[in-house]
Amino acid sequence: MSNSILVVGGGFSGLTAAVEAAEMGYDVYLVEKESYMGGRVAQLNKYFPKLCPPTCGLEINFKRLKTNPRITFYNLAEVESVSGSAGNFNVTLKVNPRGTTPQCTSCKAGEEAATTEVPNEFNFGLDTRKAIYKAHPMAYPNQCVLDKDAAPADEISAIASAMPAGHVVPDQEAETVQLNVGAIIMATGWKPYDPANMDNLCFNSFENVVTNMMVERMASPSGPTEGKVVRPSDKELPKTVGFVQCAGSRDQNHLPYCSYICCMATLKQVTYIRENNPDADIYIFYIDIRSPGRKYENFYKKIKADEKVHFIKGKVAEIKAGSAPGSVVLVAEDTIGGGKIEQEVDLAVLATGMQPTGAHDQIPGIEYDDDGFVVEKDGITPCGCAKRPVDVVSSAQSATAAALRAVQTVRRAG
Amino acid sequence: MSELTKVQPDLAFIKGVMEAGGDTVNKCYQCATCSVICPLSTEESPFPRKEMLWAQWGLASKIAGDADVWLCHQCGDCSSYCPRGAQPGDVLGAIRNNAIKYYAEPKALANMLTTTSGVLGTVIAAMVVWLIVGYLWSLHTGESFPFPEGTVAYHKLFTFVPIDLVVLPVVGLVVWASYKGITSFWADINKGLGVVSYTGTTASPALGVLLSRYLVPAVKEILAHTRFNKCGQTAERAKGHKWLLWSFIILFFVTGIVFFINDFVYLLLGLGHFTPMPLYNPIKILANIGAIMMIAGIWMILQMRQQKTEEGTLKSSEQDWILIWLIFSVGATGIGAEFFRLLNLAPVAYTVYIIHLATVVTLFLSLPYTKFAHMLYRTTAYVYEQWRKDVLAGKAGFGMEKEIIPPAETVSKEEE
Repeated sequence: MSNSILVVGGGFSGLTAAVEAAEMGYDVYLVEKESYMGGRVAQLNKYFPKLCPPTCGLEINFKRLKTNPRITFYNLAEVESVSGSAGNFNVTLKVNPRGTTPQCTSCKAGEEAATTEVPNEFNFGLDTRKAIYKAHPMAYPNQCVLDKDAAPADEISAIASAMPAGHVVPDQEAETVQLNVGAIIMATGWKPYDPANMDNLCFNSFENVVTNMMVERMASPSGPTEGKVVRPSDKELPKTVGFVQCAGSRDQNHLPYCSYICCMATLKQVTYIRENNPDADIYIFYIDIRSPGRKYENFYKKIKADEKVHFIKGKVAEIKAGSAPGSVVLVAEDTIGGGKIEQEVDLAVLATGMQPTGAHDQIPGIEYDDDGFVVEKDGITPCGCAKRPVDVVSSAQSATAAALRAVQTVRRAG
Repeated sequence: MSELTKVQPDLAFIKGVMEAGGDTVNKCYQCATCSVICPLSTEESPFPRKEMLWAQWGLASKIAGDADVWLCHQCGDCSSYCPRGAQPGDVLGAIRNNAIKYYAEPKALANMLTTTSGVLGTVIAAMVVWLIVGYLWSLHTGESFPFPEGTVAYHKLFTFVPIDLVVLPVVGLVVWASYKGITSFWADINKGLGVVSYTGTTASPALGVLLSRYLVPAVKEILAHTRFNKCGQTAERAKGHKWLLWSFIILFFVTGIVFFINDFVYLLLGLGHFTPMPLYNPIKILANIGAIMMIAGIWMILQMRQQKTEEGTLKSSEQDWILIWLIFSVGATGIGAEFFRLLNLAPVAYTVYIIHLATVVTLFLSLPYTKFAHMLYRTTAYVYEQWRKDVLAGKAGFGMEKEIIPPAETVSKEEE
């Protein structure tokens, strides 16, 4: 029997659940797969409801995390298996090596010594990183990562010797940690749906067809293009941008559910593009605009009032090469005006949806539904996007609720 | 939005579409993926998204006034990309089946010929008719009935006189029903176009213009299967259909020649019987090629439809299978009759021949009443589509054709 609580996932939901449970007086283990906390929110430029940068909500949670002695957290860690029942779960963790020590907070010297460049997954491959890196400047914990497999051995030793002595530990090994917990909160979040699956949208054929998460990274001041949403092919600001809504969502061949956030994400990204370039024309192809709640509805109204933003009711079902170099043509039926529309744009943004992490990576001992969402069981409570597609506000609410449920579980069992 | 239209859903129509294989229609949420994916959908009047909405709402008159459903060859691309499993391709197929019934006169024949039991009944009834006619004719000729003596020759059982006595009334009925169907369909789609003169008349083409400017190009397109070949996932289906269509043309042609030579030339010159022709006769060779193409074509269609139905790419209704098996029976009994005649197996040969005549009459009678009528309505829709373009462009309708015939001809020559 254990009174402690395991939170799987250190994104907005997991962080919230962990600090809420700890602040109620329970011991919490927080496990995060990436080298940094904050998950998908950390990748955004701005987020709803206040359209503030991710730091504004994450910083406060990082502070609560840092100052609460009841929370033990692991980064670069994965849950390998879960067994047992409510009140008494046995959990095996694998903590992967970070290759550095906690005082290693600046990678600069090592980065200069490194030569090999690999695609930067934090920026969805829009730029590259070195074998020693920090995912982003505001990363928490503020500690470099050595990716031993990203470069040859002699380059790794060159990096190690360029860094201050004792900072880099290339031969660190993975550790296995056994935990006994009373309740588990699953906050494993989501991945952007792979746009290559929609063969008719030709994501891999055209460089200037990007995803909404790529736009977030481009718009972010710390992103690969320093806050400018540009065409990947020539790094120019696009004069026309087309948004393809429901790219994969509400589609039984892809994600059968509505991903909830993509409409608002597009409306938000319209503001990025209009700030970058006041002359840009924006075309939004949609089935229905879903802007749930008064605040979102008002935001939608505001964007709709912009005469440079054109809404076309009809899903883009074909993307082909345009006449101007790098441009693409979005083909849809205008279901209100009638007739087919072939809109040439400089940049096309696929509003891809959310696929729960459980669709690809499942933890033995956890039950998932057909789409990969975690199924709630006694002692195992999903929250945030591991449970269903939601925005940040709802994630935080469901995380708090999950923390309460976990506390109830351990009290009942204890 | 100046005036409000009250939608009067025709519930019976929705039910009819759902029963005819379009039971998925209500899953559609109007994303319009289908209209873009469709390789045949046009720029100005894309389909099948609008037809899905009309079918959901029970707007029977809107559907009746829509030629676009006939421009679909049911490749199933829209269905496989449909995010909701609404199967627009199958719904359009169901709408077409319904439309054929809607335009059929008398409806009882359509109801009978679209069920398996009805078709079997019709074939048996036709066999009975042929036997009665054959018996009465044997009284006149003095041949023994049902199996005339001597070498097998079918003119001993029937000459053209009893055959024409049975077939010509059927031809008359089929021509009348086809004419009624096509003209009501044309009137509906022309009304659907919404182009009305200031006196309230709708545009209608003169017959000559209709034939020369619209029917000829439409038929050329149909013979080449230009559109069917564009049909995404099931483009292979076009091959079997093309073989079958050409076999019908060949068989129609040889039947016409034999009818002319046998029933007129030989009769007037008193030469006796033209048939049976020896196997080396060019007409016979052509007829045999037609028969083999017919069997091969319908077999390809059957295989493809079975495969695509199993895969779930397209749904097949009872009507689809009836037509396939009826055509197959006509071909098989035709070749069988010739084969057993050559073997001189009188009882088998004459029996197969009677079945052949019965299936031919049933197939022919089916023309305006069953899926077979797609020949009439799809051709009409092809013709209409060209005409609609010209009317909307102000180049045709209300007597405008005459003035612009010369420029239109030069344009079409340039295109060629």
